[in-house]
Amino acid sequence: MVITFPNMGNVALAMQTLCQSLKIPYVLPGRNNKATLQIGSYYSPEEICLPFKLVLGNFIQSIEKGADTLLITGSCGPCRFGEYCELLMKILSKLGYNNLDFIVADLSSEIGIKEFMRRMSRISAASPISRSDKIKALYTAFKVVELCDKIDAMAYHLAGYETNKGECKQVLNEYKTKAFECKNPEEMMRLLDFYKKYFENISTNNNKDPLKISIIGEIFTIIEPFSNFYIEEKLMDYGVSTRRTLSPSWWVKNLILKPIKMDSKDINRAAGEYMPYAVGGHGRECVGEAVLAKGYGMDGAIQIYPLGCMPEVIAKSILPAIQRDKDFPIMTLIVDEVAGEAGYITRVEAFLDMLQSKKRHLKVQEPLVSRPVTVRCLGNHN
Amino acid sequence: MNIGVPRGLLYSKYHVFAETFLEEIGAKIVVSPATNKLILDEGVRYCVDDACLPMKVFHGHVSWLKDRCDAMLVPRFIGIKEKEYICPMFCGSIEMVSNNIPQLPCLIDTPICSTQNYKLSQWAKKTGSVLTKDENKIMAALDKALQRHGNSKTGFNDEGYPLKIGLIGHAYNIYDKFINMDLKKKLNGLGIGIITSEYINGADIADEAGKLFKKPFWTFAQEYYGAAVCIIKTKKADGIIYLSSFSCGIDSVVIELIKSETGDFPFMVLKLDEHTGEAGFDTRIEAFADMLKRRCGIGHNLS
Ligand code: SF4
Ligand code: SF4
Repeated sequence: MVITFPNMGNVALAMQTLCQSLKIPYVLPGRNNKATLQIGSYYSPEEICLPFKLVLGNFIQSIEKGADTLLITGSCGPCRFGEYCELLMKILSKLGYNNLDFIVADLSSEIGIKEFMRRMSRISAASPISRSDKIKALYTAFKVVELCDKIDAMAYHLAGYETNKGECKQVLNEYKTKAFECKNPEEMMRLLDFYKKYFENISTNNNKDPLKISIIGEIFTIIEPFSNFYIEEKLMDYGVSTRRTLSPSWWVKNLILKPIKMDSKDINRAAGEYMPYAVGGHGRECVGEAVLAKGYGMDGAIQIYPLGCMPEVIAKSILPAIQRDKDFPIMTLIVDEVAGEAGYITRVEAFLDMLQSKKRHLKVQEPLVSRPVTVRCLGNHN
Repeated sequence: MNIGVPRGLLYSKYHVFAETFLEEIGAKIVVSPATNKLILDEGVRYCVDDACLPMKVFHGHVSWLKDRCDAMLVPRFIGIKEKEYICPMFCGSIEMVSNNIPQLPCLIDTPICSTQNYKLSQWAKKTGSVLTKDENKIMAALDKALQRHGNSKTGFNDEGYPLKIGLIGHAYNIYDKFINMDLKKKLNGLGIGIITSEYINGADIADEAGKLFKKPFWTFAQEYYGAAVCIIKTKKADGIIYLSSFSCGIDSVVIELIKSETGDFPFMVLKLDEHTGEAGFDTRIEAFADMLKRRCGIGHNLS
């Protein structure tokens, strides 16, 4: 058994650590790139959402490298994500990859704890280590993803305050590259500890008052940098401080808390007034985050989602109301595989300019009315 | 009190129920007219542009009604079966119209979850309370509405045409003659009768859907997939047309699932949006009809 998994931001690092400690052979999905997307969209159904295309691309690339067991998380509605596994099975078998084993990690609350354990036991059985070590391995993997998310968050936030221009971004990239090269969990933990301390002590200028922006929207698209044109890193270049609540570790915690209905309580409460019922995906979180962002001290928010994403289309209908009620500018970025970078950068810049002048006006107590901004990036890949 | 009922989304499936219920509790009903250019344009104007066509059409109907009634019934369909959904867009349709269209009258948007009887009565009581305090009257109205709904039948099963195709897709695409440019008439004109999923045995449909690794959690997706596979296996028809709309997330999955079962069975997908031109649409239908005729050896003396 050679296991592989889709590349979703820091999830890949956690999975890498997990497989290393379980001593299971694995194929690490490479960083997503144009080739991944091209392969993925070529074999994908028309009009399926972007995450599917990337997941399919990852799997095909990893199978070519020898993977035969595909791990994918599922859900049971109401959005398409829950149907990904069925489609993947059909498409990959049509492509002639017949000896594949799928491990679909659906929510235990939907398929029953027994079925869940049965599915997971297939991974567990392939691991030679003891039961208690397996549990420790799981814990370490979660620690890894939590630490990574924390370091990322620090880097994105501090980029607005750094004294040495570009340091945060450079160090962020450096640690990501090194992390993928780690050979065992201990090495990974040491590395992450080092970089966490690094960011804690990075030299900053706290007199700066940078623009602060919340990144909200569809979870896959915002946590997998390739699918959003590395927007957070671009914003670092502009000296903008960004904040994003949705992350892999948030997702895991949320899943664990869901059965006891303790999941993202504050976000749901905030969304309640605008969206009283969940709409699948993370549409409600998007709305809730938009409502809360101003209270976090943000100057604006950017909603990002893949073309055709249903929950986010609903959220998009609601955002202008929040923008109006809270006098809080929100911009929407829709990405799809024919989207080009050039078109969207100018729009993001225009948005930043608008926020900047709004901020200046606020300082002299002169309110400036903001209008909804929506951009759609179309054009060619460069 | 005038209660508006938009003729969009699931109207064709549930209008008997809704109208009977409202009439019985003493409401005056205003139904928006069949979709027309004006309604479509209004819908496109108000709705966010990356939504699916049926959602835009629904916006158009709501907008038509907004000045013509005191309250509007826009049921929030969460699910019609246990642990199943219709589509994320349905869960949020109310938020969409209420945020996208200004100056709406009061919306009666109690969630309707017909998975269990008591949930349905809850819905009835809440909805009915807008008009009457009399609970007995409401329950009687609900009974009557359910009964009439049970007796109503939608769907087509044409007889007497040389060829027959299964027409699969969302009710709001199949029954909206404006949106689909009266596809039924076009097909009938070409000598093709149609059968829709309502005329395929429900147990067989469930059987086929159950064979998937994971039964789709969208009620209608099960129905369309199951019906299409039944038609393919039993040869109940000579081909299948899947009538879909652009940006429909559900269809993007269902079509792919059906495609993996078609083999060489004639299968065509027709996609609608507000820009669909009739000429191109006709060409595709005619080409498909020709292909069916050749396959079945009709009107062709060569084979
Ligand atoms: S939430 Fe959006 S991206 Fe995710 S499965 Fe649903 S439609 Fe696709
Ligand atoms: S099922 Fe498709 S067409 Fe119907 S509301 Fe949902 S996305 Fe739109």
